[in-house]
Amino acid sequence: MNGDALEELLGDPYDGSNPTGHAAIVAADDAGEPCAAGEAVLDAWQANAEYVPAELGGRLTAVDELVRRLRPVFRRDAGLGLGHGLTTLMASLNVWAAGTAEQRKHLAGRLLAGERVSVAYHELEHGNDLTRNALRAERRGNGFVLDGTKRVINNAGRARAAVVFARTADPAAAPGGRDHSLLFVDDLDRVPGLTRLPRLRTSGLAGCLLAGFGFDGAVVGEDALVGAVGTGAETALRSFQVSRCVTAGVGTSLLEGALFGVYRFATERVLYGRPVTAIPHARSVLAGAFIDLQVAQALARVAARALHLYPSVAGRYAAAAKYLAPKITENALADLAVVLGARGYLREGEYAFVGKHLRDIAGLSIGHAGGVSCQLTVLPDLPGVRPTGAEGALFDDSPLPELDLGELRVRAGRADPLLGALEGVADDELRAELASVRADAAALPVTERGVTASHRSLALTERYAWLLAASACLNSPRAADPQWTDAVLERIGLRSGRTTERTSTAALDAAYQDMADRAATGRSFDLDPEPVLRALA
Amino acid sequence: MNSPDSTTVDVTPADVAAWLVERIAEYREAPAAEIDTTVPLAELGLDSVYVLSLCGDVEDKWGLVVEPTVAWDHPTIDALAVHLHGEIAS
Amino acid sequence: MTATDTTFRHAPMVALEQLEHHLGPAGPAAERSADDLAEEFPVADVAALDACDLALHYVPEEYGGRLRDFERSAALIRAVAGRDLTVAIAHGKTFLGCVCVWVAGSAEQARRVAALVAAKVPVSWGLTEREHGSDLVNGELTAVVDGDVVRLTGEKYLINNATRGGLVTVLARVTPEGGPRGFDVYLVQRDRLPGGAYEPLPKVPTVGIRGADISGFALREAEVHAVDDRVGEPGTGLETVVRSLQLTRTLCSSLSLGAADHGLVEAVRFASGRELYGKVLADLPAAARTLTECYADHLLNEAFATVATRLIHTVPGELATVSAAVKYLVPVRTEGLLARLRGLLGARAWLLDVRGDEVAQGVGEFQKVERDHRIVSLFDGNTVVNLSSLVSQFPMVARGHRAGREPEPGLAVAADLTAELPPADFAALRLVPMKGVSVLHNLAPAAAELARLAARDPDLTPVAGVVDALLAGTRELLGEIAVQPIVPPDVPPYAFALARRLATMIAGASAVALWLGNQQAMSADPLWRKGHWLLAALARLGVPADDTALDASHAVLGTVLRDQVFGSRLTSLLHARLVRERTA
Repeated sequence: MNGDALEELLGDPYDGSNPTGHAAIVAADDAGEPCAAGEAVLDAWQANAEYVPAELGGRLTAVDELVRRLRPVFRRDAGLGLGHGLTTLMASLNVWAAGTAEQRKHLAGRLLAGERVSVAYHELEHGNDLTRNALRAERRGNGFVLDGTKRVINNAGRARAAVVFARTADPAAAPGGRDHSLLFVDDLDRVPGLTRLPRLRTSGLAGCLLAGFGFDGAVVGEDALVGAVGTGAETALRSFQVSRCVTAGVGTSLLEGALFGVYRFATERVLYGRPVTAIPHARSVLAGAFIDLQVAQALARVAARALHLYPSVAGRYAAAAKYLAPKITENALADLAVVLGARGYLREGEYAFVGKHLRDIAGLSIGHAGGVSCQLTVLPDLPGVRPTGAEGALFDDSPLPELDLGELRVRAGRADPLLGALEGVADDELRAELASVRADAAALPVTERGVTASHRSLALTERYAWLLAASACLNSPRAADPQWTDAVLERIGLRSGRTTERTSTAALDAAYQDMADRAATGRSFDLDPEPVLRALA
Repeated sequence: MNSPDSTTVDVTPADVAAWLVERIAEYREAPAAEIDTTVPLAELGLDSVYVLSLCGDVEDKWGLVVEPTVAWDHPTIDALAVHLHGEIAS
Repeated sequence: MTATDTTFRHAPMVALEQLEHHLGPAGPAAERSADDLAEEFPVADVAALDACDLALHYVPEEYGGRLRDFERSAALIRAVAGRDLTVAIAHGKTFLGCVCVWVAGSAEQARRVAALVAAKVPVSWGLTEREHGSDLVNGELTAVVDGDVVRLTGEKYLINNATRGGLVTVLARVTPEGGPRGFDVYLVQRDRLPGGAYEPLPKVPTVGIRGADISGFALREAEVHAVDDRVGEPGTGLETVVRSLQLTRTLCSSLSLGAADHGLVEAVRFASGRELYGKVLADLPAAARTLTECYADHLLNEAFATVATRLIHTVPGELATVSAAVKYLVPVRTEGLLARLRGLLGARAWLLDVRGDEVAQGVGEFQKVERDHRIVSLFDGNTVVNLSSLVSQFPMVARGHRAGREPEPGLAVAADLTAELPPADFAALRLVPMKGVSVLHNLAPAAAELARLAARDPDLTPVAGVVDALLAGTRELLGEIAVQPIVPPDVPPYAFALARRLATMIAGASAVALWLGNQQAMSADPLWRKGHWLLAALARLGVPADDTALDASHAVLGTVLRDQVFGSRLTSLLHARLVRERTA
């Protein structure tokens, strides 16, 4: 089944009787429960197959295609997308990357049978700082004995299996990168000494069933080990690159769905004697969000394609995209909320889902890899970063070579094809900004390249991410349209804080028209539009 | 500027170690003499993010694209120097 | 910190301390959380406020209340908001509901309303309608005058206290064609109506303030007296509402200040207890800077809100501009600072059942602070309304600037916290400020004074430079505003950008005035010394500042912030001791 089929299976979100429409989804979210009908649709669509490489019988080929296929879910409900199974992908990537042929086959079987797999990195005391993770796996006989606690783990209450990040090194020894290992723990209910901990409720992604695992002398076999002992961090850091790209990409769909909603609201709401769409300020907010969406998608898509085309530097792009794309998305959602006004603050009515999207995007940003950890992935790379040539395939929709997780690097090299591609297409302002970012990065003293970096040094990573976004946009096939390019340049300048508002709305007017045309003809607002089942009021 | 700025012919492991000591001393803001080349890098106060930065320095200096895993597998300055020297020489 | 012991005690802060003392430590977060999720009205917390007679602070002294100066009442609301915004909004609504009567009602009406408030009757304000929202001029609830009787029919929607309220001040259309003179405000006292004449609408489920009574009401031929119940002269309803909103919009800033007080405590506590990469999060430079930038934002908001609130008493004729600026800027900037703190808190900002390393039902309050606070930028005139209001005032603002006006004498009184405030004169509230904005007119003399101070004390050179830059920015902006064509209703988006900048400049200029007005009295306080808070606050508005001086100011802010949080004091420019639980 293809992505269009999923859009059809989920149906018109504005149909109040649709069990997977906005009304039902908002009601489930309000009850703090997963949307059961939505999960049933994803089961029927065999969503798990999206997470299994084609060679193992699944449908996973290219990461940008995966993002595209998940859009219909995330337009409607990020909680459903994440709760049903995106975290299953995050867990499985470790096994695809480092598991034995047997483990891979076994896990593929589990997934294709519709089972969920939790990914247990998070410990309350350590957050995103993997190197400090304390849960202990001590080798004993033909296996490991686990002691410790994992919390804020999606589906921990109901997953069949889990991939667990555990300390295998002596806790007394000096910390190093070989301290941890990954364990694929299957049939969790049969593991003695393992308990599923109570659910932890959240204010966003409220339908996600976050809970935890308690390990008290839990025994798992040698065959649970994924990769060699001590390779946990290395494997996880490679898997993150894929999951960061996926999260950055699917997160933009929250904006896509909300933008249509607010536009729909604006067409039917009358204020001061005319529809809100006739108010210039409202039009500029809508058009601006439309451009924001495409900028964020261009960045996320290039990062995903780089996993295939430039795996040795893709980790930096993944971190930059995971940092910036959700930020663009959240800011645009916040702007849209202003147009929606009080309707966006209600938990009922046709537009309650917009407020839900705004709450959910925050969860999507912090749930997986916090902004600062992404910035700290990028920052050490920046001094000496070197623009190089880039293939056009990075920017278009052409078929990609197979994803080879083994080719991903824990640290990206200095070569930078996206910056190289920017040099050819940038206007004077962007070229000056590129030179300035490189010069400022090169001037960073060594103490400013890591965790003790000041806010000024850290800000360089955001400027860098904006340069990547600019390159992604200006090299995309869409850039053939000069009005679009103009709007994108204006928007990037404004959102990155380099420029102030223009007095002229010409660039945004064209974008608004494009948006309105798509809304009227059932095409999505994505960088690459697709048919959508929804209509204006 | 960005090409390796050193010929690699006459480099010894001791040269690499001395270069690493300089880098780490700069980061620690401590005299080079205080940097013990035989203890784990973590004990020198180097966190995982700094190790990424050090790898960048290696790339800039020796033209080697190295991963932090190298520092994990060779976790003292001396061990790392020997390993890097081997890579440089080949 | 002994410095504060020698500093003068600001009366509103003393009142805040007394309320804190009366209320005692806040109840368990788990109970608040359970009430919130169950959408239960915070009965006990509101009763505790009633036991302190807080509502008397909503009633002017002349009618038997305790409202002497608005700043003190605002400080009390802030204290409540810092504990639980839902409670502050649930209780403080009575204040908003009454304001029309203080502004335009007769003495008899005022005494009647005062007696109801003293009897703890919640008062509500019926302005908005389902189909019209902030567009009051198109309101459809209709008043039909029949001799001495007026019959009200129609619906108001998204009304706070509409179900629990005993008295509602209702905006009603009296002539079919409506228009600026086509509306009146009526007092609708529910116990005087027969059953069915006033029907509360179902509670509306909201994202935050879930326990608050947000609903609406339908009036069916509800009879009120044509004279006794009409607030103000016939046809003055819209004008009364617009003037009243100037007061309430200014006071709304205290809700944002309370939310930020709460959020800052949660963030500082977390960052001080959290280890990351082997270091305490609060000690990592970028994280420390995030905290102090948020604190600087908060201090700027406090300074602006303080000056704006005092201007109610001293320069009421300019409140149209100032209230729109403060109601736009303070909630929006508070949303921004809470979002940044959320980033620092990570998953903690989002979990209901986790606080620090504690796992228990409902202990995670930050998410509630952020959810609750989102309402503040939406009600009582949302962001678009306030910016539009500023845009509509561009011609007057620009004219005042061209005329090279002096600031009104009342500005100096507003900016001097040791000065006694004159009673508020509601008759002096104007729909449009005819003479411009005094805080902006004051910038040039203020910059000159700072330059003189800096000549004597070189430590003040950086902040004098920033104020100069603010002055230059303001002049440039006013020049742009003067040539900005405004063709209502098609206000170009660029005018909104100018309005945002105007609000920013008014906020910055207010902070400058406040610092200058009190720097001598506060000279023992590290925040005030060398202009530290002012420098950091103005830099947050985008005014260029010297990096070294700015870093020094942030270092001071960091120390004071931690002292305030761990010393159970209000996160404030001024000293106020709190009783709420503050230990790590």
